[in-house]
Amino acid sequence: MKKISNIHDIKFSKDEIPLKSDSSNLFLEVMISISVFLFSVTLAGVLAINSMLSNWSDSILGALTVQIMPVNNVNKEKSIEETLIHQNKALEFLKTVDGIEKATPLDDKQLQRLLRPWLGDGIDIKDLPIPRLIDVKLVPHAQIDFMALAEKLAEISPLASLDSHKLWLSKLIQFADGLKNLALVALFLVLSISAGGIIYATKSSLGLHKQVISILHIMGAKDAYIAKQFARRTGYISFLGGLVGIAFAVPTIFAIAKLSEKIEGGIITEASLSWLSWSSILSLPLFSAIVAMMTAYVTVKKTLEKMM
Amino acid sequence: MQKNTGNKLASIIEMQNVGIRYGHGPEILSDIKLSLKKGSFHFLTGKSGAGKTSLLSMMYLSQKPSRGTVKVFDHNVNFANRDSLAMLRRKIGVVFQDFRLIEHLTAFENAALPLRIMGMEEKEVKQRVKEMLEWVELDKNMFAQVSTLSGGEKQRVAIARAVISRPELLLADEPTGNVDNYIAPKLMNLFVELNKLGTTVVIATHSEKIISDFSYPRLNLENKNLRIYYPNDKIEMDTI
Repeated sequence: MKKISNIHDIKFSKDEIPLKSDSSNLFLEVMISISVFLFSVTLAGVLAINSMLSNWSDSILGALTVQIMPVNNVNKEKSIEETLIHQNKALEFLKTVDGIEKATPLDDKQLQRLLRPWLGDGIDIKDLPIPRLIDVKLVPHAQIDFMALAEKLAEISPLASLDSHKLWLSKLIQFADGLKNLALVALFLVLSISAGGIIYATKSSLGLHKQVISILHIMGAKDAYIAKQFARRTGYISFLGGLVGIAFAVPTIFAIAKLSEKIEGGIITEASLSWLSWSSILSLPLFSAIVAMMTAYVTVKKTLEKMM
Repeated sequence: MQKNTGNKLASIIEMQNVGIRYGHGPEILSDIKLSLKKGSFHFLTGKSGAGKTSLLSMMYLSQKPSRGTVKVFDHNVNFANRDSLAMLRRKIGVVFQDFRLIEHLTAFENAALPLRIMGMEEKEVKQRVKEMLEWVELDKNMFAQVSTLSGGEKQRVAIARAVISRPELLLADEPTGNVDNYIAPKLMNLFVELNKLGTTVVIATHSEKIISDFSYPRLNLENKNLRIYYPNDKIEMDTI
């Protein structure tokens, strides 16, 4: 028995319904921790894809590549010389076009680096009939008629062609978009399964505490009074479960990011997470607690409505 | 002798042609007519299985009738929404034969329940509960978990909980069944005092001694119907 000398020292139990001892608590906590783990990793994926898409869109809007096809000549040195003449012509022209901020020809080292994934190290590109490239940076929000630009460029140098990256990037964007939608479906599924689990646990707990709930009703408790106790408990358990889930998710996300860095080509590395993305991920335990509280509250209210 | 027909007072509970059945079974109670006047005191009697518990559960709004009309505090129970039923229940104190206490809470917390549900300020709750538990001589076990108390002690906690909010209607099912001969009359006197203060009281009991000690009308359930007896002048009426 508690030894209390002054009645004002008494602290009333907030939960008249003994939800603390429910066997479904562990099930709920484990389920929420798994859900938050899956949700965090998937959300990190969605956010990374989003940032990647945004970077790619910027690339489409902010850059062009002009390709100068190599002149085929028996004399290799003459071929290179003629190709460079075409490159310079195109370069001079590009510098006069409104909306172009900078046009920079890629030197041999840069070309070699681009070809490395296919040809490896130690290849002298001077021995190869490869096109020369000019990297064109556009003024932000510049309105350029790409068709007219391509035609004009072809007039100046028939070996020059314009690549606005749109074709290959649009395919990649399409793929990434599909991936993102798939991840969103996965997020929805995780959320639905969690909600289903919470509804199941809440209903079984309602059945378990039927007698105490009936006592509270007879004493004049409104459904909201009872539902708040369930919501408070479920929210607390979900928050704990969420913390466990996030504790596993963060190293997993870092591990995936580390692995993706090893993929060459610079595509995946663009999929970085901003501080805003990280704060969204780290707020998931709180988010899961709020969702769980709301689900439990509504479940209790709906179930009690069927009683007198 | 005290005869309290209370005809001049307003009705706390009115039942018209009330019947109760469970599932597809036969009616437990049939064509019940009842008008409980404010400030009245009645005993509810009847053999086991006569339907006393069902009748009481309709009175404390835990059950709706299968047919007929039940009005409690002038609200038709059939049409009242859940929140207004909860508000009506706050005016009713109930003592159950099986106590129906919350076992993991202390005697103090159990007795405080109705006041806390009403949203009363904690300081006042504590003061009132302390006084009430001292009155029912539970001051030494105030902070004991209910599961550790004896039957008689539990009974006193249940009674303290039922009367703590000074209800307008007090319903008690065998309230002295588990207490000793010293505490039983004391508890009955508490009900009488509450009745004098305006609380309408209905006590379900099998104890002929209690019924004869206190000269209040008796509602007797027999053959699914309700009859009233005034023991001193032996008047019998079909309904109230």
